[in-house]
Amino acid sequence: MRSYLPLLALATAALGGLMLMPAPGRSDEVDELQEKAIKAAVNKIAPTVVKIETSGGTEVVKGGARGLIRRGQGPTTGLIVHPDGYVISSAYNFADKPSTIRVAVPGIKERRVARVVGTDQTRMLTLLKLVDLPPGTKLDVPVPAPKSEIQIGLTAIAVGRTLVPEVNGPPNVSVGIISAIDRIWGKAIQTDAKVSPTNYGGPLIDLQGRVQGVLVPASPQAEGETAGFEWYDSGIGFAIPLEDINAVLPRLMKGTEKEPVVLKRGFMGVLMKSQDMYEAVPTIESVLPNSAAERGGLKAGDILREVDGRKVSNYAQVMHQLGKKYEGDLISIKVERDNKEVVLDKIVLGSAEEAFPQAFLGILPIRDDPADGVEIRYVYPKSPAEAAKLQIGDRILKVSRPNAPSSAPLVELKGGREMLMQFLQVMRPGQEMKLEVKRKAGGKTETLTVKLAEAPDLVPEDLPENSSAKQALTPVGGKPPIKKPEKKDDQQPQKPPLKAETGFLKRTTPAADATYWLYVPDTYDPNIACSVVVWLHPVGKNKERDIEDFVDVWMTFCDDHHIILVCPQSDNMLGWTPGETDVVMEAVKSVQETYTVDRRRIVAHGMGVGGEMAFYLGFQYRAMFRAVATVGTALRGNPREKVPAQPLTFFLAAGDKDPVKPALEETRDKLRKLKYNVLERIIPNMGVEYLDGRAGIKTLEELIRWIDSLDRM
Amino acid sequence: MKRLFALLVVVWLGLSVADRAVADDSFAAIAEEVNQKLVKLFGSGGFKGLASYGTGVLISRDGYILTVNSHILDTRDLRVHLYDGTRYNAKVIAREPVLDVALLQIEGGMRGVDIEHYFDVFQAAKRPILEPGTHVLAFSNLFQIATRDEPMSVQRGVIAAYSKLAGRIGIFEASYRGNVYVLDAITNNPGAGGGVITTRKGELIAMIGKELRNELTNTWINYAIPFSARAETTDKDGKKTETSILDLVTKKEKYKPLPEAPKVANQVFHGIVLVPNVVERTPPYVEEVIPGSPADKAKLRPDDLIVYIDGLPVQDINTFNTILANYVPRNEIKLEIQRGDKLITVSLTLERPIDKKK
Repeated sequence: MRSYLPLLALATAALGGLMLMPAPGRSDEVDELQEKAIKAAVNKIAPTVVKIETSGGTEVVKGGARGLIRRGQGPTTGLIVHPDGYVISSAYNFADKPSTIRVAVPGIKERRVARVVGTDQTRMLTLLKLVDLPPGTKLDVPVPAPKSEIQIGLTAIAVGRTLVPEVNGPPNVSVGIISAIDRIWGKAIQTDAKVSPTNYGGPLIDLQGRVQGVLVPASPQAEGETAGFEWYDSGIGFAIPLEDINAVLPRLMKGTEKEPVVLKRGFMGVLMKSQDMYEAVPTIESVLPNSAAERGGLKAGDILREVDGRKVSNYAQVMHQLGKKYEGDLISIKVERDNKEVVLDKIVLGSAEEAFPQAFLGILPIRDDPADGVEIRYVYPKSPAEAAKLQIGDRILKVSRPNAPSSAPLVELKGGREMLMQFLQVMRPGQEMKLEVKRKAGGKTETLTVKLAEAPDLVPEDLPENSSAKQALTPVGGKPPIKKPEKKDDQQPQKPPLKAETGFLKRTTPAADATYWLYVPDTYDPNIACSVVVWLHPVGKNKERDIEDFVDVWMTFCDDHHIILVCPQSDNMLGWTPGETDVVMEAVKSVQETYTVDRRRIVAHGMGVGGEMAFYLGFQYRAMFRAVATVGTALRGNPREKVPAQPLTFFLAAGDKDPVKPALEETRDKLRKLKYNVLERIIPNMGVEYLDGRAGIKTLEELIRWIDSLDRM
Repeated sequence: MKRLFALLVVVWLGLSVADRAVADDSFAAIAEEVNQKLVKLFGSGGFKGLASYGTGVLISRDGYILTVNSHILDTRDLRVHLYDGTRYNAKVIAREPVLDVALLQIEGGMRGVDIEHYFDVFQAAKRPILEPGTHVLAFSNLFQIATRDEPMSVQRGVIAAYSKLAGRIGIFEASYRGNVYVLDAITNNPGAGGGVITTRKGELIAMIGKELRNELTNTWINYAIPFSARAETTDKDGKKTETSILDLVTKKEKYKPLPEAPKVANQVFHGIVLVPNVVERTPPYVEEVIPGSPADKAKLRPDDLIVYIDGLPVQDINTFNTILANYVPRNEIKLEIQRGDKLITVSLTLERPIDKKK
């Protein structure tokens, strides 16, 4: 990370030099003019740029969670947006949920206490209200630069209030240009001025002192308060146009300290046929029940043609229109249905909070099985599958399409386990599903109807050891492998079983800037997909010796259950930082490239601060992680919402003497409120330690079975 | 303002055509002039990711050099390359940890050296402080890109801020705690320490510092120490002494071990009992006020939240202890506390710890 910054800087310096220093002799005049213009613009905006200081964090006060993902704890910046004492800032500055917030306003003698009254989750902004302003105070408000005038190449000055102690002194500045507009699905403008925690929340201004936008960390790949932090000072920075902020300000200002307004992304509630955002025709695979799309009349099979009057030919273009919308916003869509164009006007976008618990059939599938259908490995007691008398060894060959009329023909499960899972993901408990099953006993084929239920808080104790058909290298959905011995060798190279090393291995990331360790069971077989457990150590347990100790505890489980351990190392003495996600992700990706990995069973597992990192990874990288397992950790702040196509489940463990316990219970309730599946295990007679003692080991064994059953459905 | 902007555009358009015709480029001339006064340093390092090279600035005819006080000086074999590629050995005359600078001299044998190009550091120290937004140039041998007689790498940026390095900006590991320029350019890289910041006319302003992390924001910081830098140190009796870069250059004093400021907490008595410090960021809430103590006289109450000590933000109990460790009895401190929705300022005079009073 660090190493390429200077290069970028040199490159930009060279470019800047070309543009700004054209003139021998007279170049000075140009420079002087520009310098004057910059200083004048900064002076003009300065009275509206405030300094924000915080202390503590709510959970910390309650004696709950230990440690955190470190955000710096210095002052941050905000911008006055309303004369009555409203200040907008980057949500990054409040990611650690401080217990008290104080704001220093230029020209006002004393600092003021402020409260969070609103959050814009789509643009990662927080609105503060200053409490106790002298009566009749009217604060200066900046002038927005019209969005239509913001163009690539214009000078852009990033202004912060963090480096100089006196709020009436000059703010800190960084000078650059507008690099792009309409970034992050139409929500942000991009600049090469240096954007970092020293100016997050501050304004990006033009040479006339008008505000182009409010500086935030942002990333097109991830969401969350801290996403994009890793790009600080790199010449890649983002700002949310002030015009857009002003447009939603009245809504945000309705919030109070007790009931803050939270603006959320507007969801349509459809799943697309293809995951490919760019190449595939945007065709709806299924419409989620009770979603905006269902209410608005969208149907499975519809091809999206226009969104808000703009033609769309792929899902990325749909996102460009949809990505900037809020819950409750209107959208109009033109679709192609049965070769006819249908216009669906004024669809009211919904929220992800209409989330529903995962529909549960009650089986575990046999894995690594390329044949059509799904063979049953295990039937959960008291589940719909048991009620329908499904048996181990039965093979589900066909199912009804989700939310299709009951007369519709059943579809063949050519995609195996993945296909059945995808179907179940868009269904709710209580809905019916028809199955065509080939019985193991007798070989007869029957059609059954099951009423789906909610997944239970249960980890089966009697998991059958036979979990895999051991054909992970054969492409799924194709024909069962044809037995032609002489050709078998030709088939293999499709995904050559790389010379995969096993045992306790030390690795470095491709950039060689971080070390991590792997444990690959000696029983590794490329034809059996492994689950991956990423171990995020607690504070101070980052030495090779500590990692070895952890691996020792897990080793036999790994060997027996085909689990690969990935143990990255945090360099930070005080715990993991968001910037270290890069290293973790690189480690996991490299494991995926080298070994056969079951994508449905990648687990972020951590203790203490490592557990917070596990939560963070789970919420930020949903395409990767399917489960989060923590020991002695409570979630700071609020969990992110459920995403139907990317399920995430939780296993929360702690000792009953661990002071984190009350906060852990709060975490459990918060997650369940969002309809996540959560297992909580409080271990008697255990304090702040890893699953230890007889009861601890029992929980660890349960965790291993939980990982083995993550592909339940 | 609109007119000014329009004017700028016109000037640019006008000049970009005229440019190419002129051979004598004033920027190149400035760069050449500055480069002649800089040296490449080679010393200890090359392991554990520490660079074994650095930059220095010539400040006298007899070959004195200023650079940052860094690990590369931990050697007897310190070598200097002048701008024209001439090689010399150099010796460390004095290292000043509280300013984080060091004075070196080129070893010119019996005859000594006669340096033609050097900066007047006394004049540099007199220059007025530059405002944020002022264009500056940074010259250094970052990443050792330049070898022997090659010129330094030049970067262009603006002054981002002028502020104290310690406490405010959040650098706690730096030994120099005074004012620095924060730069809007990625200047502080391996080997860049000891390089210079000049105005766009090549006037000497400041010396590029080390690679440091800003603890308050958890980011790397780019800063330079102005040649007017001064540092104040307090000895154990609370007596203050002052030193500066100019002092160092004038006195050519050897390494000056300064008596350490008191670092042990609880050397002072304030009478505030804070809530138990159970987690990493426990906010400094007052749990109890000892009757008759300075805190009691200042009318502090349980449940008050201490938010600033002498203007320094106090985010948690650890910070509270760190800051107070710098005070001695009889010092007066200004506390800002949050009581409900109000911020209140009180002053209290610290006393000797109770057990030591007897």
